[in-house]
Amino acid sequence: MKENNLAFYLKIYFKIISQDIKSKMSYRSDFIISTIGMIFTNIAGFVSFWIIFRNFPSINGWTYNEILFLYGFSLISLTPVQCLFDNNWNLRTHVYSGDFIKYYFRPINMFFYYQSEIFDVKGLGQLAFGIGTLAYSWHKIGLAVTPLSILMVIVFIITASLVMIALQNAAAATCFWLQNSFFILDFVNKFRDYARYPITIFNPVFKFIFTFVMPIAFIAYYPSLVILRPDSIPLLSWLSPLFGIVFFFLSYKFWMFGASKYSGTGS
Amino acid sequence: MSAIIEIKNITKEFKVLNRREGLKGSLKDLFSRDYKIVRAVDSISISIEQGEIVGYLGPNGAGKSTTIKMMTGVLEPTSGEILVNGNEPYRSRTRNSKEIGVVFGQRSQLWWALPLIESFRILKDIYRISDDDYDHMISLYKSLVDIDELLHKPVRQMSLGQRTLSDILAAFLHNPKIVFLDEPTIGLDVSMKAKIRTLINALNKEKNTTVILTTHDMGDVDALCRRIVIIDKGKMLYDNDIEHLKGFFGSYRTLKIGIDGDLTAEAEKIQKEFPEFSVSNDDEWISVLVDEEKSTVMDVLGRLQASRKIKDMKLEEISTEEVIKKIYEEGV
Amino acid sequence: MKLKKYGTLVRAGLMESLQYRASAFVLVIGNLLYLIIIYFLWKAIYASAGTDTVSGMTFSETLIYLVLATALFNFMEMYIVWDMGRSIQSGDMVLMLLKPMEYRSYLFWSYSGEHIMQFITTFLPTFLIVCIVTHGAIPLGINLVYFVISVVMALLINYYINFFVGTICLYTESIWGINIMKQVIVMLLSGVTVPIAFFPETLQKIVYCLPFQSIYNAPLTLLLDGQPESGNVLSILVTQFLWCAVMGIACRLFWKLSIRQITVNGG
Repeated sequence: MKENNLAFYLKIYFKIISQDIKSKMSYRSDFIISTIGMIFTNIAGFVSFWIIFRNFPSINGWTYNEILFLYGFSLISLTPVQCLFDNNWNLRTHVYSGDFIKYYFRPINMFFYYQSEIFDVKGLGQLAFGIGTLAYSWHKIGLAVTPLSILMVIVFIITASLVMIALQNAAAATCFWLQNSFFILDFVNKFRDYARYPITIFNPVFKFIFTFVMPIAFIAYYPSLVILRPDSIPLLSWLSPLFGIVFFFLSYKFWMFGASKYSGTGS
Repeated sequence: MSAIIEIKNITKEFKVLNRREGLKGSLKDLFSRDYKIVRAVDSISISIEQGEIVGYLGPNGAGKSTTIKMMTGVLEPTSGEILVNGNEPYRSRTRNSKEIGVVFGQRSQLWWALPLIESFRILKDIYRISDDDYDHMISLYKSLVDIDELLHKPVRQMSLGQRTLSDILAAFLHNPKIVFLDEPTIGLDVSMKAKIRTLINALNKEKNTTVILTTHDMGDVDALCRRIVIIDKGKMLYDNDIEHLKGFFGSYRTLKIGIDGDLTAEAEKIQKEFPEFSVSNDDEWISVLVDEEKSTVMDVLGRLQASRKIKDMKLEEISTEEVIKKIYEEGV
Repeated sequence: MKLKKYGTLVRAGLMESLQYRASAFVLVIGNLLYLIIIYFLWKAIYASAGTDTVSGMTFSETLIYLVLATALFNFMEMYIVWDMGRSIQSGDMVLMLLKPMEYRSYLFWSYSGEHIMQFITTFLPTFLIVCIVTHGAIPLGINLVYFVISVVMALLINYYINFFVGTICLYTESIWGINIMKQVIVMLLSGVTVPIAFFPETLQKIVYCLPFQSIYNAPLTLLLDGQPESGNVLSILVTQFLWCAVMGIACRLFWKLSIRQITVNGG
């Protein structure tokens, strides 16, 4: 019997999402309104950011453009969770109604099967917004553009994404035990907005908490130090890819453990 | 021939929260929770062979779905042993699911937004169905049901009947050894039910697929099942062929009479006359379920005729539904 | 008789929220962490500004404002757009319309139980803690009365805005898009994330012409003002009242019009 390898999963994934996108495009008004909503969210985020910095030239030695860099970085790193793992938001409903049972009956990884069902196109708008912001601040700060720095940015953005995906997976999976886990997911979701500020503003206790307990510092701060402060990169920045992978793996295990505890309501 | 499903003494227990009632109750629940253990399935053993169609019956909450969930790898048994096609479903869920197909009535497993043919194509990849097998299966489907209009319709736009049909076709697509059908005809109209029964029978014959079916519809049982298993409150009540079951109650026959007047009142009167038999009525007939070991049908008819004018009468063998009802009520 | 009917709804809402004890717990923790982040963020901002007062507000004033705004936001949060959107899509709306109670008041009174619960569990403790911690930075006088009146009107305005947006769901399937647009607009323009005092002047003028600041900014202004001038108080309360009336009428008209259209179309 053949094992299901990566190529097998990729093939299935692209088949499902290409069909999904095709069918979504046929609901044009929904697509357009959602995209406008997404653009609104990004503009509003940017405006509150701008209002604060209009009054204050810098925070803790971080200039406007540097914080803008963090902002753009976090937007890009939040794109994968938006595009690829958006079905986590529906998990609660599926579990509650009993429809979740269907994910047990296919000879493929359940987590994969579940997440593959939805590809959220709206996230691509956020990606464009993030890339624009990052490129602008990159230029303004006067950072060099070398193949190495581009490669580093890509690697560390993927790292940061893994952390956010991990947080969301874990939050969504709580619905296997709690009835109304929307609050937790929403709570984690709100935290993304705070990921974009430098962790140095916190005192040691909360620095520790936001690094190791609720690892939001890995969504933008630690990974972007590699580009922003190349002279003094802390060990945690170099370790962040490892953390990303570990967090993701743990959240995956937690999700699957939850699914194995599920008994399927209804008859 | 060895069994394809071998269940030995499985038991499944659930921990259920006792919710208290009223505003005061929910306040109390806030601080202390009270659990009780419910045994949904209680040491059941079944052995099923390749190619059988087995009707798995029981009233609501009897534990049917729980058993199916254990056979498909969703739930882990509390104790006991299940082997499906040589696999322990819960431990090797992925391997097990390659050889089974599952349909839960009213819960579609197809991709909601996609046309059926696209769902089939994705399933072809997921189950690694070869081109030849896939084409063969599609042409078999075309010979059995009229699927051309379904193939290009998104599942979300289908009627319940079309969706169930599609789900059944999808469940058989990878030519599994076993297909589980949970209430496949629930909520469907008569002609759709007939269509689905014919389809299941044909696929079972053509591919020698084992079919495990739960249903409340005795029409399904009569049309499909050669063997039935009945459980109630988690315990096995009966496991044998359907003919054998009827043999159990072979001495029973239903005498139906047509008379004038208020049938309900008459039926009550007759019940008093014959306390040993169960009497019921509908708009046309009064039915008396006669146990011929106690007295003959002719005897009963004679006594009935003595006191009232009988316009019409007919004699029926006991129906499956009545047999099963009797088993729920009084056991074998 | 009529009151009893509403009473039952309030009671049902109370019971429902009690059952989700886990979510209540998460909500408390979530708010605490959120406030901690706000605290450190603004502390860093003020430290970097070098002056005690920025845009006419001191650090502690900004903090008190934001803490109470957050508490107010949590207390008033409602998911009416989702509820309405879902019941429209599932067709349950038709059943709601058949109930012997106007749908608008049905929704409002159903939410009231939750609001009472939220007021007790989120706003009140926050308020008391702030009072104690800041040693009387919040004046306790006639302003409390103004505040309560203002909050009730704020609740109504918030409800009307939500109901108005929810009605749009009769025309489109895109609940997500509609809801997110409403959410970001309210969040930004009501002064819940950044105090309106920090806004640039032109933006401030625009914001004061819109109903959103009446939801959070208005009650908080009344609460935090120790020497209320009757003219000032009156103008805030009258503005709120006018928005209540305008939004109430707008809601009613829009709903009636939309429902008629739907009954005609047989949707």
